[in-house]
Amino acid sequence: MIECPNCKHREFVGTLFCSECGTRLIHVTPVPTMSISREELTEEARATRPSPPTGPELSSGAIIGLRVIPTGEVLSLIGRENFTLGRSSEGQAVVPDIDLNRYDAYDYGISRMHAELRIGDDTIQVVDLDSSNGTIVNGKRLDPLKPEPLRHGDILQLGRLRLQIISRQKSHPR
Amino acid sequence: MPPGKDYYAILGVPRNATPEQLRRAFREAALRLHPDKNIAPGETELFLEVSKAYETLIDPDSRAAYDAELAALEADLAASSPFKCEILHSREALLRLDEPQVHYLILDIHGSEDLPEVRPPINLSIVIDRSTSMKGQRLDQVRSAVLTILRDLQPEDTASIVAFSDKAEVVVSSTQAKDLATARARLSLLQAGGGTEIAQGLSLGLEELHRSFAKEGVSHLVLLTDGRTYGDEDLCLQLAEQAMQSGITINCVGIGSDWSDRFLDDISSRTGGRVIFLNSPKAVTDLLHRIYEELSKVVVNRVRLDGSMGQQVDLRTAFKLHPEPMPLGDSFPMALGNLPKNSSIRVLLEMVVHPIIGQDEVVLTHLAVEGTLVAQKGDVHSLPLDITRTLTSEPDTKPPPEEIASALNLLALHRLQEKARHEAELGQVAQAARRLESLATQLLAAGEKDLAKAALNEAVQLAQSRRLSTEGEKTLKYGTRALLLLPPRRET
Repeated sequence: MIECPNCKHREFVGTLFCSECGTRLIHVTPVPTMSISREELTEEARATRPSPPTGPELSSGAIIGLRVIPTGEVLSLIGRENFTLGRSSEGQAVVPDIDLNRYDAYDYGISRMHAELRIGDDTIQVVDLDSSNGTIVNGKRLDPLKPEPLRHGDILQLGRLRLQIISRQKSHPR
Repeated sequence: MPPGKDYYAILGVPRNATPEQLRRAFREAALRLHPDKNIAPGETELFLEVSKAYETLIDPDSRAAYDAELAALEADLAASSPFKCEILHSREALLRLDEPQVHYLILDIHGSEDLPEVRPPINLSIVIDRSTSMKGQRLDQVRSAVLTILRDLQPEDTASIVAFSDKAEVVVSSTQAKDLATARARLSLLQAGGGTEIAQGLSLGLEELHRSFAKEGVSHLVLLTDGRTYGDEDLCLQLAEQAMQSGITINCVGIGSDWSDRFLDDISSRTGGRVIFLNSPKAVTDLLHRIYEELSKVVVNRVRLDGSMGQQVDLRTAFKLHPEPMPLGDSFPMALGNLPKNSSIRVLLEMVVHPIIGQDEVVLTHLAVEGTLVAQKGDVHSLPLDITRTLTSEPDTKPPPEEIASALNLLALHRLQEKARHEAELGQVAQAARRLESLATQLLAAGEKDLAKAALNEAVQLAQSRRLSTEGEKTLKYGTRALLLLPPRRET
């Protein structure tokens, strides 16, 4: 592989222009394949773990949010025990608590009432509301109407839209 | 070589097929053609040919002898071919590596010097979108543009005008087109109204072309539209495929910014035609004249690139650079359209070569350029191209040919634009805006002030509305694509 001197993107040997930034890659010598020890990798994974979120607090003291992965926005989940997720459409009687329409919900294949988040004192659960395109947690497709526990960092996929659960128990004042 | 004699083609396998591939191809053909079950006349002969081909190729000795014979035949064919092809490589030799590497080729296809120059009769169909959105200036400009084309029509040419909305009708038939007064009267009846169903228009336009189809002529369809078609996309692509089979090229002209560029690209590239973005309908007269002019200069039509990549080689992209820049898809055969006289068709191929063990040479690709000479009533000619490279251990310090470097430089800009658009569509707004800013800087460096400005405007637009404007999207796409047409700097 060779490395772009401008953006460090890696390309196959012989490539003339970086596909990431368009920089010309002439006289760039191949970089040898480096072996990285497992410790280094774990270290890096630890360093890049999502930082604890800041945000509104629940009465239980937990901080809970939902990160919309394509845009990076964080929606706070506060004030209720149940949140329905879906998209509103014209003339619809019941609208979801969290309307994903502004993230192109339709294109992502999200149903009008797609899933529900249930927030307990120290648990979060997701239930697929028999949606057309299904709900996937960490790569596992959920059976409709069967609650699935969620933890901090879990990836929740509605249709093709990916969301990440952010939760942290408030540290008790000393 | 008579077309029926290529054993590899008979079995439908690449030139470097493994014995396993040969066996599979033979088994498949035998199942289909075995004399015990066949009914159609001529199939027994075909089966005998297939058996002969298989027997010759499966034995290493007879295969080597046959390969030598084939090479000699192809050399003869190349020498007598009415067109020639020059090949430029990004590197003189490939590296002996245990990882994949990239290699680029430019094929420059042009007519041989003694090619007869005959103006081909033109068979043209102009298909006009008359949906509600075309009302007013757009339809007026199109109407007057079409009239000037009919006025300039040569006696040997034929033309027809088709209009479509939810359904299609022939506005000016090829007989009416010869009588200017009738044509004018018929065109004045053309009114805007209704939806956009492109398949309706394409289908009737192609039907009109088939009515006055001549093998020694050039048949072409121009589609003028300003909107999107819904639900009949697959049918449109099938029609484009049929058009390609009968040697009809389709140019799509998108007026305004609400048409689907990817879809029109898909239609045109299947036929070897191109897509033109018209920001304002005023330019339509000039454009139609340019297309008509180009058609009158065609010396070889139905140019196609067919063949297969080598065993260890994958085709990554194919892009036509000349006479008009157009992406070509990644599967053979590729329709290259028409070759104009005193000009060339240039194609850039980008390929990934996987590690090669125990060989000093790598077969990159076996290609054949095919085309029909317009002066010779539909004679199909073929120019075989076997492209190989040697392998070395020493890195090549020689810079790549300037023509390849400059084409790739511009292609890199075009790709940045595509990436930014893709990211914007995924909602990665910040990333897309950064890319557009970097594109603007590079466009400025290339002296393209207007395009650089358009890129910056889109970066601002993204920040405000989280999407690109449909107009900006097309300006950047077709603007950066048009850059690829820059006259190649010839090495002397």
